[in-house]
Amino acid sequence: MSGRSMTRLNRRSMLARSVTGVAGSLASLGFMHLLSQDALAATESKGVLDQLHFPAHAKRVIYLFMSGGPSQLDLFDHKPLLNQKNGEDLPESVRMGQRLTGMSGNQSRLPLVGSPFKFSQQGPSGAWISELLPWTSKIAGELCFIRSVHTEHINHDPAITFCQTGHHLAGRPSIGAWLSYGLGSANENLPTFVVLISKDRIDQPLYSRLWGNGFLPSMHQGVQFRNAGDPVLYLHNPPGVSSRSRRSMLDRLAELEEMRFVEEGDPEIKARLAQYEMAYRMQTSVPEVMDLAGESTETLELYGEDVKTPGTFAANCLLARRMAERNVRFIQLYHPGWDHHGGLPGRIKQLTKDVDQGCYALITDLKRRGLLDDTLVIWGGEFGRTNYCQGKITPGDFGRDHHPRCFTVWMAGAGIKPGFVYGSTDDFGYSVAENPVDVHDLQATIMERLGIDHERLTYRHQGRDYRLTDVSGKVIRDVIT
Amino acid sequence: MTRRHRFQWMIILASILCIVPAKGNEPAKKLSFNRDIRPILSDRCYACHGFDEKKREAMLSLDTFEGATAVRDSGVAIEPGKPDSSLVIERVLSNDPELKMPPPSSNKHPLSSDEVNLLRRWIAEGAEYQKHWSFLPIASVTPPRESASQPIDRFVLSSLREQGAAGFSDRATKERVLRRVTFDLTGLPPTIAELDAYLADESPQAFERVVDRLLSSPSYGERMASEWLDAARFADTHGYQMDRERRVWSYRDWVIRSFNDNLPYSDFVKWQLAGDLLPHPTKDQRLATAFNRLHNQNEEGGIVEEEFRVAYVVDRVTTFGTVFLGLTLECSRCHDHKYDPITAKEFYSLFAFFQNISEPGQTSYFTPDMPTPAMLLSSDKQDAEIVQLDQEIAAKEIVLSKITDDQAFNDWLTKRPSAPEIPGKVAEFKFETIAGNKLVNEVDAKRAGNCVEGPELVEGPAGHGKAGKSSGDNGFDFPGLGHFHRAQPFSFSLWIKQPEWSKRAVVLHHSKAPADAASRGYDLLLEEGHVSFGLYYMWPGSAIKIRTKERIAANQWTHVVGTYDGSSKASGMALFLNGEKSEVEVIRDNLTKDITYGDEPNLAIGYRFRDNGFKDGAVDGFALFDRKLTPLEAAHLADRHDFIEALESQNLSTEQREKLHEYFLATVSGAWKKSEHELSELRDKKRRLLAPIPEIMVMEELPSPKPAHLLVRGNYDQPSDEVTADTPKALPPLSADTPRNRLGLADWLLSPDNPLMARVTVNRYWQMLFGKGIVETSDNFGMQGSPPSHPELLDWLAKDFVEHGWDVKRLLKQIVMSDTYQQDSKASDWGREHDADNRWLSHAPSRILTAEMMRDQSLALSGLLTVKIGGPSVKPYQPDGLWSIAMGNPNYAQSHGPDLYRRSLYTYWKKTVPPPSMMTLDAADRSYCTVRRQSTNTPLQSLVLLNDPQFVEAARAMAERSLKEGGKTTQERLEWLFRCGTSRQPGEKELATLLATFEEQQKLFADNPESAKQLLKVGERGVDEKLDATELAALTAVTQMILNLDEAVRRR
Repeated sequence: MSGRSMTRLNRRSMLARSVTGVAGSLASLGFMHLLSQDALAATESKGVLDQLHFPAHAKRVIYLFMSGGPSQLDLFDHKPLLNQKNGEDLPESVRMGQRLTGMSGNQSRLPLVGSPFKFSQQGPSGAWISELLPWTSKIAGELCFIRSVHTEHINHDPAITFCQTGHHLAGRPSIGAWLSYGLGSANENLPTFVVLISKDRIDQPLYSRLWGNGFLPSMHQGVQFRNAGDPVLYLHNPPGVSSRSRRSMLDRLAELEEMRFVEEGDPEIKARLAQYEMAYRMQTSVPEVMDLAGESTETLELYGEDVKTPGTFAANCLLARRMAERNVRFIQLYHPGWDHHGGLPGRIKQLTKDVDQGCYALITDLKRRGLLDDTLVIWGGEFGRTNYCQGKITPGDFGRDHHPRCFTVWMAGAGIKPGFVYGSTDDFGYSVAENPVDVHDLQATIMERLGIDHERLTYRHQGRDYRLTDVSGKVIRDVIT
Repeated sequence: MTRRHRFQWMIILASILCIVPAKGNEPAKKLSFNRDIRPILSDRCYACHGFDEKKREAMLSLDTFEGATAVRDSGVAIEPGKPDSSLVIERVLSNDPELKMPPPSSNKHPLSSDEVNLLRRWIAEGAEYQKHWSFLPIASVTPPRESASQPIDRFVLSSLREQGAAGFSDRATKERVLRRVTFDLTGLPPTIAELDAYLADESPQAFERVVDRLLSSPSYGERMASEWLDAARFADTHGYQMDRERRVWSYRDWVIRSFNDNLPYSDFVKWQLAGDLLPHPTKDQRLATAFNRLHNQNEEGGIVEEEFRVAYVVDRVTTFGTVFLGLTLECSRCHDHKYDPITAKEFYSLFAFFQNISEPGQTSYFTPDMPTPAMLLSSDKQDAEIVQLDQEIAAKEIVLSKITDDQAFNDWLTKRPSAPEIPGKVAEFKFETIAGNKLVNEVDAKRAGNCVEGPELVEGPAGHGKAGKSSGDNGFDFPGLGHFHRAQPFSFSLWIKQPEWSKRAVVLHHSKAPADAASRGYDLLLEEGHVSFGLYYMWPGSAIKIRTKERIAANQWTHVVGTYDGSSKASGMALFLNGEKSEVEVIRDNLTKDITYGDEPNLAIGYRFRDNGFKDGAVDGFALFDRKLTPLEAAHLADRHDFIEALESQNLSTEQREKLHEYFLATVSGAWKKSEHELSELRDKKRRLLAPIPEIMVMEELPSPKPAHLLVRGNYDQPSDEVTADTPKALPPLSADTPRNRLGLADWLLSPDNPLMARVTVNRYWQMLFGKGIVETSDNFGMQGSPPSHPELLDWLAKDFVEHGWDVKRLLKQIVMSDTYQQDSKASDWGREHDADNRWLSHAPSRILTAEMMRDQSLALSGLLTVKIGGPSVKPYQPDGLWSIAMGNPNYAQSHGPDLYRRSLYTYWKKTVPPPSMMTLDAADRSYCTVRRQSTNTPLQSLVLLNDPQFVEAARAMAERSLKEGGKTTQERLEWLFRCGTSRQPGEKELATLLATFEEQQKLFADNPESAKQLLKVGERGVDEKLDATELAALTAVTQMILNLDEAVRRR
């Protein structure tokens, strides 16, 4: 172990044992006198990085994760050839041995299926967007569509774990945890990494490991904000315990701990006490961020009718904006329900209706508040869907299986080229034709926008320096202004 | 510690300790390669100039003396004795980015001047290499001569003195030591009575008595199990996607039992690795092998099974490496290890030990039973019944086989029918017409067949009219037919034709799916022309399956009859092709449970969910029988004349006579039928006995090893060189007479020559008691791991442990009885200045309680704790809706009553949504093996401890107890509460604060009496209504405060 990483480890363990940046919040609470020099020294640095590797273009990230794998062929990747060849078998010359899932892999035929939805070109890039996304079409000028994203994984669990942690097996830290570890917090009254999940849309499951800390200290794990009950688990005092009662008890606790500190001389005593104060402050700051009462009618209308229902994608988008304003570093939304093996035409209508206006409103709202310049927004799922039908095509109905070889992700803000289309697929919409982008490349690009060299933000675990992008990943320079 | 500091330490260390005093009289100053140099080379150089040949740059290897000192075109990398002419020194000092080492592009830090100086000195001293310390044999060490009676103390004291300390810190107070050792050995706080007893006992044996009491308390096993379950990645669900329940708590019970019985650790390990391979293994020995199956298992539909089967085996190897060897074997899964001498080939040689079981890569969705191999968790009584039934069945089989009923046969022969009769036909379909999407059933018109997704009718075999044709995705199904269980004999008969052979084609089946249902049911397949017939409980481990040796002709009609006698044995199955009994190969012969679902699927022809159907295949004349057909019947169904000829023949050949006799017995003989019926009853009784008995996944070695290959870059679909089971070369070899199986591997692991196993084990228990191992990286004893702080102590402990029969209780007692352990945790002035991270153990370490201890303490002190060892997992309070992110929106059926208050190791662990409070309090993620937990400090932890109903209710119950047991006055009660929470009396000022807190809280609650009532309602236990609500609420608030004191949540 190098001297340098020793120092780093040491600071990290200090951080783990105390807290990121409690100094400010405590000072304002009048708790400064409780903090010894030791404890202060430990809270100076907010993240493990002494300085950023590059100038940061993004201060925060909002990742709109479309769990289940949206069909790029019915949303963004316009393939008229599939309509012409509707019902014909997928030629082996196109498939070229790509492994299929066991769900359609044993079908006697793989009939191509064209999208029943109309496409038109939108924005300065002339990006093709399907009629399912009228609101997204309006902001096409802000978005950068990457149509050539690909992955190695053909099943949900490994694919989504790969997207969120850079590795397909459980155990690695998620993107947000890496950023919390690297950059620390920019608002001590809220978690650095927040997760919001659309309600009532689970088909494929989500797993808490997707926002887990893996082998990083657990302070870096994402905190799920919930739309019912306590927004953060155990946030509220027990029934009957008033804020005054709690405050008074915490003050007395501090008194006792001060006596203990004199006796024991262990700075851990104070570091821990600081957490109680943070928790107390969160009891105010979390409900505040979750409360939409202060939002104007005009803003609420921007997000659409759904915004009034907690737990909808639209409501979560508005919360994401509020958190972005408060400098939450990584805001992870999940909208599940995109796993359309069958009944795709009907189901995708529902899902696009769920998310379309929220996306539009979020981008528009961020922009008009000047936040889009330093907020990176990402939209996408864990893989794409096949150009052939799973099962039989019947009148007005079909389904698509998982497809790893190409899918579309869009990004916006933080110096990503607005109104830009990058990468393309072949006429069958089966393989990437130009500018392939793999999942690690996306992750490297996210980090680059935040000022981090993905190869240099590492954590030593069991003797090896791990990083988000494992052993690959390159920044997609072409999508950056 | 700063970099400078660290290297000062290293120099000091090097000067005082030497693992192997190779040349005893060397001046103490000489640097040690292992301690001083290897960490630098390993971290900065070995990634490109190390062990991994494929990644080796410039053909230079710095990991061996030979490699480093070889003369090269450019010079010599390391020239012993001559640092100035060693290229290594030149390159690390270079300012030229092209030459500089490590290259700036590697993102490795340049060497500091201290490090360069160390390197120079070492080269000057001769550049002596050493084998990595942990690969050297465990040394026999004599404890240093120090003024302490215990060897442990002599080692620690000696190091402390070398560092300049005067000695140990003072002994901790009796209260503090009792609290410490009680948590460490039982995971629970001491009771007031235990505290009083110990304080009152002034004999020199007082502490030893405490230790003995704790080690023999059943809570000891629970505490030890909590630790082990992290390593075993124990959880109640499978982990991937659907994350369905797996009932494996009986393994946890075994772990608790083993620790409480003080099973020698060597047996504890051997049983888990290879209990099934021991001679005549006991049930416990087999149950222990569940350890190898607790990795995540994937149920997701459509996965490639081999991809995940490989992942499972890799997990086994990884866990084996972490827990027993302290090596990161998984680093060599894709390439040779970068730092440690483990090649990828050696990784797959270990892999070969762990894959020889009949297991699926995908766990079944439709039949959520244990993936195979599994063992029955039967009671002793059930075992006795099973043995009894097996004997009765065997006896009855002999009886049946001996029945000839000759007299009746001869009578029958004289008046035998003239035309063949085939009784027992329950359905017949001729595929002549499709009317309203239905097929006519010739036997029972009400049970017609269905056409599914538009199969066609085509020309059938000559003389049979039309036939049905499947595309592979469509076909026919037959509701209400063929729902046989495994004790029922049955047969089927049909014509089939397929234009060309395919790898696999499902002709007929009664099942929901292949992988997604573990093939449960029965089927008839065509496998590259071979006809197979199988009955399945859980494929691949529990099934019977036969396959014809011959292939049927492609594109030609073949008649197939399959028969089964209800015996659950492959020998009870037969296949007839075109009326002739076929020679078959037995593919599986181990059907352990039933082939039914409870809600039976339709018998179907031509297609199956997520399977290869009978593509372009045609079928005709499908008939189903509820008995085992005889050869003459099979021949007759295939349009042969054998049966008619036999019936008509006046001059029966021997063969004809025998066949008629067989037919007679099966269809006419009352004696035979009666006996067969009795046999069926017995088989059915056994079937019904076994069906509800739960199972657990275990290891069950296949008779011959599966072929193993090096997988290129770790990819399941890129096998390369074949490998055989073997251990890494860097460690002592497997002796020639050791079997190349898991048992041999376990023996190798536990052999006294193994340098890692005992060291890794004692280090982990040291870590359990001191918070940090002698080797801090308890999960990595490789070159990138941290060197031992007390290498000689480690070796002494390891040797002593092995020599005393791997006795864990003895080891723990030895450690906690030491002065080292019993020091105060308060750092001395010297310690604060010179031993801030307590590497030298200048004081006892303090650390936050584990998640389990935190919750268990509250339950124990409140009196709520349910004292019960073992059993199924329980579901304590959890906020609503957490599981809604999991697949299928499963319901968290919270427990009630005593199950709300079990110790935390029994808390139900759903891997994809683990218990939130436990996770917040730094419990390990049970998706993979962990031997070192995180320790963090976050506001979310405060929220859990203050607001989680479990903790709130416990505080209230504890406050309630104080009213009843804590004395008469508020002051007495507050003292009692404080003493419960911290194990000591409060000081005067502390008591004043407690009283002030109580008064403030009482006033607040008195101002709003309703709020007091609300607080008292938290939890399901209910409160004594007679108590004063305001007083109790105020005491509850004070109790919460006490339970959140540093002294309550930290073991000091």
